[in-house]
Amino acid sequence: MSSDPGLATNPATLQTIALSKHYGSGETAVRALDGVDLTLAPGEFVAVMGPSGCGKSTLLNLIGGLDTPTSGSVRLDGQDLNDLGDDKVTELRRRRIGFVFQFFNLIPVLSAVENAALPLTLDGVRDAEARATVWLQRVGLGDRVRNRPDELSGGQQQRVAVARALSTEPALVLADEPTGNLDSRSGAEIAALLQQVAGEWGRSVLMVTHDPRIASYAGRLVLMRDGKIIGDTGLDGTREAARRAMEEADLL
Amino acid sequence: MTSVRLAWRYLRGRGVRSLLTTLAVVFGVMLIFGLNGITPTLVEVFNRSLLATAGQVDLRVTSSFNQPFEVTVLQQVARTPGIASASPQVQRTVPLPSDPDRPLADQVTQLIMIGIDPASAAQIRDLTLVRGRALAVADADVAVLSADLAGRLGLSIGDRLTVPSAVGTTGLTVLGLLSPATVPGQETVYLPLSAAQRLFGFGGRITAVEAAFEPGTVREVVEAAVRRAVGEGYDVGGLSTNSSLLASLQVGTFAFTMFGVFALATAGFIIMNSFRAVVAERRREIGMLRAIGARRATITRMFLVESLIQGIIGTGLGIAAGWGMATALFAFMSPLFERLLHQSLGDPVFAPSSWALAIGLGVGVTVAAALLPARAAGRVTPMEAMRPQVGESYQRKVGLRAWLGAAMLLLSVFALTTGISELVGWSAVVFLIGAALTAPAAVSPLADWFGAVIDLAFAREGAIARSNLQRNPGRSAITVTSVMLGLASIVAMLTVVTAVFAGFTSYITRSMSADYLVIPQSIILSQGNVAAGPRLASEVRRAEGIGAVSTLRLAQGRVGGAAVQVIGIDPVGYREVADFEWNNPSTDAALDQLGSGRWLIANGIYASQNGLRVGQQVDLDTPSGPRIYHVAGIGNDYLNAKLSTVYVSQANLARDFAVTADLLVMANRVPGADPTSVTAAMTAIVADYPAFRLYEAAQWRDEQLVTFDSTIIIFYSLIAALALPSLLALVNTLAISVLGRTREIGMLRAVGATRRQIRRMVIAESLLLSLIGTVFGVLAGLWLGYALVSAMSAIGWPMPYSFPWGGIALTAGVGMVFGLLAAFVPARSAARLDVVRALHHE
Repeated sequence: MSSDPGLATNPATLQTIALSKHYGSGETAVRALDGVDLTLAPGEFVAVMGPSGCGKSTLLNLIGGLDTPTSGSVRLDGQDLNDLGDDKVTELRRRRIGFVFQFFNLIPVLSAVENAALPLTLDGVRDAEARATVWLQRVGLGDRVRNRPDELSGGQQQRVAVARALSTEPALVLADEPTGNLDSRSGAEIAALLQQVAGEWGRSVLMVTHDPRIASYAGRLVLMRDGKIIGDTGLDGTREAARRAMEEADLL
Repeated sequence: MTSVRLAWRYLRGRGVRSLLTTLAVVFGVMLIFGLNGITPTLVEVFNRSLLATAGQVDLRVTSSFNQPFEVTVLQQVARTPGIASASPQVQRTVPLPSDPDRPLADQVTQLIMIGIDPASAAQIRDLTLVRGRALAVADADVAVLSADLAGRLGLSIGDRLTVPSAVGTTGLTVLGLLSPATVPGQETVYLPLSAAQRLFGFGGRITAVEAAFEPGTVREVVEAAVRRAVGEGYDVGGLSTNSSLLASLQVGTFAFTMFGVFALATAGFIIMNSFRAVVAERRREIGMLRAIGARRATITRMFLVESLIQGIIGTGLGIAAGWGMATALFAFMSPLFERLLHQSLGDPVFAPSSWALAIGLGVGVTVAAALLPARAAGRVTPMEAMRPQVGESYQRKVGLRAWLGAAMLLLSVFALTTGISELVGWSAVVFLIGAALTAPAAVSPLADWFGAVIDLAFAREGAIARSNLQRNPGRSAITVTSVMLGLASIVAMLTVVTAVFAGFTSYITRSMSADYLVIPQSIILSQGNVAAGPRLASEVRRAEGIGAVSTLRLAQGRVGGAAVQVIGIDPVGYREVADFEWNNPSTDAALDQLGSGRWLIANGIYASQNGLRVGQQVDLDTPSGPRIYHVAGIGNDYLNAKLSTVYVSQANLARDFAVTADLLVMANRVPGADPTSVTAAMTAIVADYPAFRLYEAAQWRDEQLVTFDSTIIIFYSLIAALALPSLLALVNTLAISVLGRTREIGMLRAVGATRRQIRRMVIAESLLLSLIGTVFGVLAGLWLGYALVSAMSAIGWPMPYSFPWGGIALTAGVGMVFGLLAAFVPARSAARLDVVRALHHE
């Protein structure tokens, strides 16, 4: 399924238009991303797959406003990131986007709830920890609120990261190989959690992964190669759906 | 708010790292604050005694030439508007014979005898009695003195105090004991004015007038009126400051301040190093914070707050430690001061400015040192959260800085050749900065050279250690620089102390080369020692077996309103028993010139203070009016090396200053005479002059050298006390640099390095760093020491520069030992690292 970017009544959370990122110039130029158009509707869970160097991470960096495109644009809630300065982009990221990283990236000297509340405290929100606690309970860590990262398992740390991503009530959650550093059981749990993030809590989720089983938790699969989208297909919810789609696109 | 909390959490969560960084601040502040408590207190001790000598009186009039004057001056002062009352005074310092039964430290070697008019003095001076009675108008040979002094002299009320006088000796009956209000170190005895005048043979003359102001008068107005009333030739106000002590203290203060600046610069480097390591380690966390919406400013602020907290804590602890250091040092130095200067040190005094300086510099340097790393942290891109870049690039600008540093090194060489003292001092600082700038570029080639040495002991680990250094020249350079600063100050201080003492020893042997010296028990030049009439010298001349005899005489003169001590010598005889330490280009020919008219020899300090050259005219104010002298030469003798002094012939001293009494008699034995019988004859002669003591020159020089040895111990312990923090800072830096590579070490363990190899690698790296740092430190220290010695020579205190071989050996040894010590703890903890945890080390 794919939503219509033109519909004002159902505006896309995210829209990229001819998004490109080139490194170097002339003969040695590398087209990390080459004219990508991608649209995400609210509550949609999209997985992005492709071989190493296909441009998945570059796409995520550009969407998150961590990097600037060579050409094309990213629109978040209809707002073009190119029109904003670094501080405005930072603010947008803080309020409208949640990040989940492969290496969790929790602050080791802060407790679970303090980590989860970070984006809110950065924003000067008063009841930051209370709101973060709610999210920790929702991701199943209600009893580990005061623990520090080194007292939590990998799966638990990633749950804290998910709670942190959701604490600001963002429209979009960007997950960069969120299960890459976890065992398969914890990985499946995190994938299911992200499914819940989209389906139950209504966020748009864009997840980059290498693992077809993890990708199959998504509702839609985007396949990339050499900086271009070579496939964009809906998934039926079975664990084999993503693998079949990749075989069809000749990516396996 | 967030940055404060994060900063605080990081500080607590990274305890060891925070502790080491904070310790660097502590050491720096400790030195600055401690030294600021020590030096002003020393100055204060001297000032206090000078002020107390001037008394708690409003106004004091004395002769500019230290001569007794007629009592008419008293009436002139008393009649001046604004003066409520005036009182005459006679003051002389007299030596006491030493008591062989008492330990040196308890002995009273001199007394300040003050004759006062009992009737008028009470309105000006407050002498509080604890026992006995006060001086009365009818009293004759009586005295009152402090209970404390009486105890030290073994006297009580009714006992007789025997003092040397113009008529041999005089006994004074102790009438009363004063409360110990007078300042420690001043052994003062009060007696009736008439008795004092008789004692010193002054007739009706006095040496000072003390006066009290009417209430509500303006000091400047009354002082000016008194000055007009008494006319030329009198000092109005307090005593002139004792220039010799102040001059020595200024040199000392400069050297100590330099130490403090070094320590703080070292601390600054360490803090910067530490924060750079911290930023490199936390890149991914910083990237995440940026990714989830922290602004650049928030990140920068977080690091600045972290440094601010450390600065505040470190400064607080540093102030406490500095206070402890100063107190401990004083406790150690106090007995020596009491023995040598008869001064009690009391407690260190910390002025508000010391607090301000310590707090300002401590917190300021910490935050300033963190500023660059903090800004670098702000520039970390959020993408680092996704794909962390390994390490940090230090390569940029290394080349440019090295060239800049090389230029500064050249500049400092040039500045040294100019010989201008200010430039010479600055050249040392420029040299240090230049060395610090070239260090990053020099680390790599030096690591290759010294690596060969290290490889002898650590064959395989040495190569890894070397590449560790070369991969990160910036970090290595900071460690090298802090080692350099710490060691350079040690070498420099040792050089200066060695030069000062070598200089004094040389003065002693040259200007005190006579076989016999007959000198007052304690020579306090320019303070009115009891002098001997011509009989003493002529008796010595007639003694069996005595050859050449020469004497020194003393007077006070003024040049352009400033006091100068005038020494009368016999130009012919002087050379037979002593010699000057000449400043270029003066020679013994200057002595011949003294006898041929109004010529003078200026000593180094006086010549440099007044920019005197040979041949220049000097307008000398004498008691018989202004006289025109010319400079025959510039040179020093030991006794007067630290006082502004000019030497004239005794003929001119008699003509212009009316001084014919000898202060000091020097005599040589005839070659072949029996030393024992000559000494016996001399002893018999001097026995009639209790104010004087006979020294065989060799024995006297030995006594002086013993005094030197105790003084030099003070200096060495000061150097040790001051060097220790710098060396601990070195341990600190090395430890931080190992701590910063936990992950790397984990990786090495993972690919098969044994614990032993890791340990040896860390030790090899530490040794290599301290070896390079020691080379830099010794070079910089030699330079600094040479510059300081030259600077001291340039201010008229010529010191022979000697190459500090011992100091270099000591410093190199200390550098290596601390290199090993610094590696010990980190090497152990690195070897014990849990591989898996280390690989995941954040």
